[in-house]
Amino acid sequence: MLRASRRLLRPGGRTAFFTIHPTAGLSPRLRRRAHRDGPVAVASHLSSRELLERAGFVDVEETDCTSEFVTVAQAWVDQCEDQRDALAEVLGADEFDERQTERRIQLQAVRDGLLRRSLLVATRGDDR
Amino acid sequence: MVTREERDTRERFRNRYGEDRTEVVLQIERAVIGGDWGANGYTTMAQADLLGTALGLERGVRMLDLGAGRGWPGLYLAVRTGCDVVLSDVPFEGLRLALARAADERADGRVAAVASSARALPFRAGTFDAVVHTDVLC
Repeated sequence: MLRASRRLLRPGGRTAFFTIHPTAGLSPRLRRRAHRDGPVAVASHLSSRELLERAGFVDVEETDCTSEFVTVAQAWVDQCEDQRDALAEVLGADEFDERQTERRIQLQAVRDGLLRRSLLVATRGDDR
Repeated sequence: MVTREERDTRERFRNRYGEDRTEVVLQIERAVIGGDWGANGYTTMAQADLLGTALGLERGVRMLDLGAGRGWPGLYLAVRTGCDVVLSDVPFEGLRLALARAADERADGRVAAVASSARALPFRAGTFDAVVHTDVLC
């Protein structure tokens, strides 16, 4: 993804993205749980910053957005629960329950400090 | 190399993007995200605006949205800032909805969609001024 971004950007072009990732410094056991419970985009053990730099980006800025992540994840759970009957009619009761369970497991992983969400902004470096 | 997990994820999203956008679904999205552009993740309207600011989006800027789903946030950003956007994703269903919304917003002249993985996008190197994505598989 990042290498594709670099190829398609002009020199000096910029990328900005949100990414969900395991918290740095987790034990192997907790890291496995973070991967299992979250929609973890990057399977690499490297941080997003390191991945960006290796892909040829410079001036990397990272902003932690985990508190907003919790707020939004909780809001999905609550709003969907409030509309349980209407959504179950659209999706089917089993699918509704499966999605809510998935959301709750992920939210718990964030609350337990296993997952974080960050905004990354970086500039495509000149050709090397 | 596409893993089984990636294939399963794509199939799940293909099915989800094909679901009806009923009023209750739109109402939930407005309550959680702040808009009804087809978001199903964690990027709020305020955070989408942050992306637009960080990328310096304005008329004439060429942006690529990777994993655009139904057009969130790339289509929204194009409508809001006046930039051009190519929306790309593997499932076709979401992109079709995005193009319909682009026409509704009278932005279809600045919005294109390509059903492709990021690795196989049919563009020359250096085509874009900005690339955006939100919580997609890297």
